[in-house]
Amino acid sequence: MTEETVLERLSVVFRQVLDQPDLVIRPETTALDVDGWDSMSHVMLVVEIEQQFKKRFKSREIADWKSVGDMIASILRP
Amino acid sequence: MLFNSFIFAAFLPLVFGLYWLLRKSLPIQNLFLIAAGWVFYGWWDWRYLFLLAFSIVLDYSVGILIHGTQEEWKRKAYLSVALVLNLGLLGFFKYYNFFVSSFVEAFGGMGIQLNVHTLNIILPVGISFYTFQSLSYSLDIYKRRIAPCRDFISYAAFVSFFPQLVAGPIERAAHLLPQMTKQRTFDPQAAANGMRLILWGLFKKVVIADNLSTHVEKAFTGLDHHGSITLLIGALCFTVQIYCDFSGYSDIAIGVAKLIGFELMSNFKFPLFSRTIPEFWARWHISLTSWLNDYIYTPASLGLRDFRKWGIAMAILLTFFVSGFWHGANWTYVIWGILNGLLFMPYVFRGKMIPRREIVAKGKMLPSGLELLQMLAVFTIWSIVLVFFRAPDVGTAFAYIGAMFTRPTGPISLLSGPIYILFILSLDWINRHDERDPRVLRIRSTPLRLAVEVVAAVLIFICMLNGYQSFVYFQF
Repeated sequence: MTEETVLERLSVVFRQVLDQPDLVIRPETTALDVDGWDSMSHVMLVVEIEQQFKKRFKSREIADWKSVGDMIASILRP
Repeated sequence: MLFNSFIFAAFLPLVFGLYWLLRKSLPIQNLFLIAAGWVFYGWWDWRYLFLLAFSIVLDYSVGILIHGTQEEWKRKAYLSVALVLNLGLLGFFKYYNFFVSSFVEAFGGMGIQLNVHTLNIILPVGISFYTFQSLSYSLDIYKRRIAPCRDFISYAAFVSFFPQLVAGPIERAAHLLPQMTKQRTFDPQAAANGMRLILWGLFKKVVIADNLSTHVEKAFTGLDHHGSITLLIGALCFTVQIYCDFSGYSDIAIGVAKLIGFELMSNFKFPLFSRTIPEFWARWHISLTSWLNDYIYTPASLGLRDFRKWGIAMAILLTFFVSGFWHGANWTYVIWGILNGLLFMPYVFRGKMIPRREIVAKGKMLPSGLELLQMLAVFTIWSIVLVFFRAPDVGTAFAYIGAMFTRPTGPISLLSGPIYILFILSLDWINRHDERDPRVLRIRSTPLRLAVEVVAAVLIFICMLNGYQSFVYFQF
């Protein structure tokens, strides 16, 4: 999986969870840039991402996510 | 010291003048802030100051200890000390009697007589607020979100900051501490804005909330003979009373902070104009909701995420249970919290729990018919649940709500209540785009606006002459 494909699949998750079909995210995007991405929707994003990518993250790791790039790094980590 | 007292009216200009005279030296200015905070707080009872001092020394030291060690078990141990002592103090002062009497009752119900006495404990004003603020400091250092403050004076000034010490907004170290450690400059425009916030906050508290409180009192004391409509009016009056009381307090706090060069977070963003329950909670007592969100809901929902929506539902119920219990040691608050959690459930299971950020009918004069209906529904439902918040005990709350739905309409009294409600909601509607800039009615002409402000000040003064009432949230 490359960074681009992860970003593409993440975009789908974000659009669906946040209910914003036109949302565009980039690696440098943070919660402050996206309307509706707050701690409440964050948990739903985590659930959806874990299911999509068949991964299990540690709470500590999730707490350290500051941007979409951090999420991609976690997903790509073996 | 109450914001709506004449002694505070003397205290504030004195602090303001001396504070800016001391602007050459930051440590001295901060020392002065500590002194001001302690006079303000000690005015209730000087013995409370020991608690405040204990809280300051405890979290300041624990913060440095946590940061200074790498071993996970030690970090956890230090954090546990902070949690146990902070919550222990809060628990003792706020919940000791509640637990003792609940146990005695429970055992009494089983036919066992326990001979345990409750203690004559006075709840120190604001203890729930500064305990939560201090706790968040230790928790944030533990979670490596912030570095500890090494400047004891600034830290003590942060905890003793009188504008928000006793009833919030509950600030986070990441937001308020950096303001404490850097030079403040006097900004006349921010100060003028602060004055307007103080005026507006006092107006909401003294003119609206205190007058509505007599209506609410009558509704609750006359529960046995009022008709359903009067009881409904009483419940609606209480919602607006507590909104004006508490958001008024927050406005004054934010305004006072502005006068001395600080920015506090917004605590209310026109919650009574919410279209959904989640939106309401994104607009009501924001500093507490976001605290609970960060330290209760998020860890709980992450831990329970394998249960999908059920996990989120459980996390929400837990959060509201804590919220209810934080408010007071009484089953009424616990039930109030749980009912609010239950109101959230339809949104959780329909996947609609992310509130809209935009204020209703943004940029328009009036809401649409649907928006109006939605706002009315949220307002009414919330008012019914809030009966638990006001009633002295659970039985009264159920009786009140039951009577509201089953009694005949009867003769209608308390009619001036809805006038107050409509009046304040109309003003709020005009101001609703910016909670931090209450330029009265958005009047452009300065002389006219000044005239309105003078009238408001005179009204506040007249109402204050009748004696002043404490703020509802001081009991928490």
